[in-house]
Amino acid sequence: MATFNMKILCTTLSKLSVNRVTIRRNAYYKPPKYRPPHWFMPKERVMSEDMLTQENRDFIEEIKQDKLNSQLALESPLAHVDQHTVQWTPFTRRVGLIARKIGNYPLWSKDGKKFQTTLLQVVDNHVIKYIPPEEFNPMRTKKICWKEKRTLGCLLVGSETVDPSTVTKDYCGIFNSVGMLPKRHLFRFMVSPNSALPTGTPLFATHFRVGDYVDVRAKTIDRGFQGVMKRWGFSGMPASHGVTKTHRRPGNIGAGGEKARVWPGTKMPGHMGNRWRILRGVKILRINTKHNILWMLGVGIPGETGAVCYLYDTVLPLKKLKIAPPFPTHPASNDLPLEYYDESIHPFEEQTIMFDEV
Amino acid sequence: MNQAQVTKLVSKLRIKVAPEPRRLRNPKGPEGRLNKLRKTVTGLIKFERIELNFNRADEARQYAERLISEAIAHGDCHKPTMEIADYWLLEKELIHKLFKVLVPRYENCNTAFTKMYRAPRPLYSRNIEKAVLELRGNPYPSLINKQYSNRQLIQNVLLDAAKYDYRQAKYAEMADKIGKTENQQLNNLTKKDEITPENKEEQIPLST
Amino acid sequence: MALVIRKPTFDILSAAKWMIRKDCRALSSLVEKTEETEKRPVGRRARFQNPALEYRHIFPEFLPDPNPKWRNSLREKMERADMLKRRSQIDIPEFYVGSVLAVTISDPHAQGKTNRFVGICIERKGCGLRAEFTLRNVVDHQGVEIRYDLYDPTIQSIQVLRLEKRLDDKLFYLRDALPEYSTFPFDMDPEILPEGTPVPVNTVQVKLKPRPWLERWERQELKGVANIEEHLKEKDRIRRELRKTPWEKYDLMKEYRKTIPVEDQTEIWGEVHNQLNQLRLSRKKMFKKRPISTPKPQLG
Repeated sequence: MATFNMKILCTTLSKLSVNRVTIRRNAYYKPPKYRPPHWFMPKERVMSEDMLTQENRDFIEEIKQDKLNSQLALESPLAHVDQHTVQWTPFTRRVGLIARKIGNYPLWSKDGKKFQTTLLQVVDNHVIKYIPPEEFNPMRTKKICWKEKRTLGCLLVGSETVDPSTVTKDYCGIFNSVGMLPKRHLFRFMVSPNSALPTGTPLFATHFRVGDYVDVRAKTIDRGFQGVMKRWGFSGMPASHGVTKTHRRPGNIGAGGEKARVWPGTKMPGHMGNRWRILRGVKILRINTKHNILWMLGVGIPGETGAVCYLYDTVLPLKKLKIAPPFPTHPASNDLPLEYYDESIHPFEEQTIMFDEV
Repeated sequence: MNQAQVTKLVSKLRIKVAPEPRRLRNPKGPEGRLNKLRKTVTGLIKFERIELNFNRADEARQYAERLISEAIAHGDCHKPTMEIADYWLLEKELIHKLFKVLVPRYENCNTAFTKMYRAPRPLYSRNIEKAVLELRGNPYPSLINKQYSNRQLIQNVLLDAAKYDYRQAKYAEMADKIGKTENQQLNNLTKKDEITPENKEEQIPLST
Repeated sequence: MALVIRKPTFDILSAAKWMIRKDCRALSSLVEKTEETEKRPVGRRARFQNPALEYRHIFPEFLPDPNPKWRNSLREKMERADMLKRRSQIDIPEFYVGSVLAVTISDPHAQGKTNRFVGICIERKGCGLRAEFTLRNVVDHQGVEIRYDLYDPTIQSIQVLRLEKRLDDKLFYLRDALPEYSTFPFDMDPEILPEGTPVPVNTVQVKLKPRPWLERWERQELKGVANIEEHLKEKDRIRRELRKTPWEKYDLMKEYRKTIPVEDQTEIWGEVHNQLNQLRLSRKKMFKKRPISTPKPQLG
């Protein structure tokens, strides 16, 4: 009898395996993806004190400077290529840009209205590598949306050259294999094969034109664990009139009866921000070609000042490009005007706005 | 966006200042916080090197730097500065030390007036980060490692050799260039070949 | 202190050295004191005597917001360049809170497509292109306040009718004061100060209407209000004492976080100083060339 009981106990215990833990999954919590993209390498390095002499420090600095100079001396590979070999069609997808959010300030339109704008600076963008669609094999995230036949290639773009000694060897390896210096930010853009670019092509703010609409992908401001009033905009409860201890609380979170449980998706306190979000269809109002700055309409671009965001041609059907943009990208040239303004925007150096009497 | 205050001019601190002040919890609120920091600043000016919790050290460091920079900027004949010194230094003989010892010491200083190190913390105790805060130019022996820049360390020896090779390669290249140009001048050739700079990139370990 | 004693390589020799050095300093500090008196003003204080720093009172909007989370050198540079571009088109004169201004803007809905308003400046705030100011006047027994953007391209002209300062930084208490303190005629003539005089401070103290008020003026330590004590009860006085924060003026870091340091300011003024000066000089020349009979301001 005792052995029989023992057997039952063993089987039940074996069924209680820890491996079968269900992972919660909804729009705001996704478990981490265990396979990073194949070109991804850990970037951060633990810095340690090397105890070098001053001459050796200078020597390392000299090598860095030499490498940077040789990188700067490289010419754009597009300089001698004939631009008109491939034509742009509304179905091609161009490469995008990596930009840094540097602040907001207002611009005025020609009819005297004030528009808040966000300034994005395109810093030192270079094409790192192109992976054609046949070779590109990304991680399968969803079974349903997966198409076996891929038509888009992957273009890696980096921005902001960094000191190679501040990043890991593996991360440097990605750039060394194509003869570039490591960049602080690396991002992939899915592009049509005919808009592929050779390694080392610099990208500028003039890749887009004023009046175009772009999508901006960035991480929102990390606000930490927040209550429902800040996170979901609940109105809370009154400050007085006999209310005790429930001034900023959510109140009721569900009904009784058959639904006597918390329904999935109920708005509750939790972590707010630090998520990737895409703001679609943002208009470009002004471009500075010297500092590569874009003035975008509105203040809704995610992230705080100094955040990195990714720009590409919008996918919204009504705001899509209709006239051919610079394709595959705008080549480097020195004879561009300093500033481009949208036709609705009033440049500050022009005369005061006057309305004519009808 | 707010406007910057223009009534008072301050000189820039040479240390990193966090955008928001730290909350040093105190039942008395902001006044109690300043009282705590007053004690630490007084201790720092008095002893010139103190060991304390990291949070409090970092906050007190900013106030000590500001106090010294105010004293340097306005001198001891400026009434508001004297009031500030009177508030911050609990022991009144330290006001003389501030204006007569520390101000001349740091008047032509181009770095921060204080130094802060992370201190080791006891293993079996409350796990609080500790720091050592000191005034620059204090009379105590130095806290940093004496091996800081030793030529005999293996990484320095290797880098010395690499430097020698790198310099040799560079000189050889330069000599090559000069030789080529001289040859060209001697030969007086009509067509000039462009000198292609050789690939400088060599395999040198950048980091140990 | 404890750490020093704990150090294993602490031998007697270095201790002796330390003692000697300390003594030397104690001795030398007395000697140095006499020599140092002449030298001292040469040091750091020279940085505070840059004449361009005085521009911070006249053009406060050229200084950026001191919050480090919002600062970016390139954005600030672009903003200043745009401000100078706008200033080359229109004369934005020197004015302060308490000055009486006349502002003409182009307005598509107004008769004649322009709109002129006269009033006292009760607030000036914001930095960069967001700088704005508020004018207050009483028209037909009704208080009117209009907020203007300083760099709005629809502003046709800003004219200073009376250049003066008041005792306070913000004059919101005029809303609760008797209406005669904020009534200004629209056909006011500009009062021209002689060249080189400092801006006068108007020490007028306004009289408040009885309560209820819009704000608790008694807690704000206002200098420009005469009869605030008349309207207070004992309860208000006690509350005012409880709310006082006398330690705040000693909070050196709070002060530091609200200002732009001298080193940063000299950089900013070095960048815009020349252009601002040129604009001022050219404006002065234009002013002299004009005929003596100054055009009378039109009725609003």
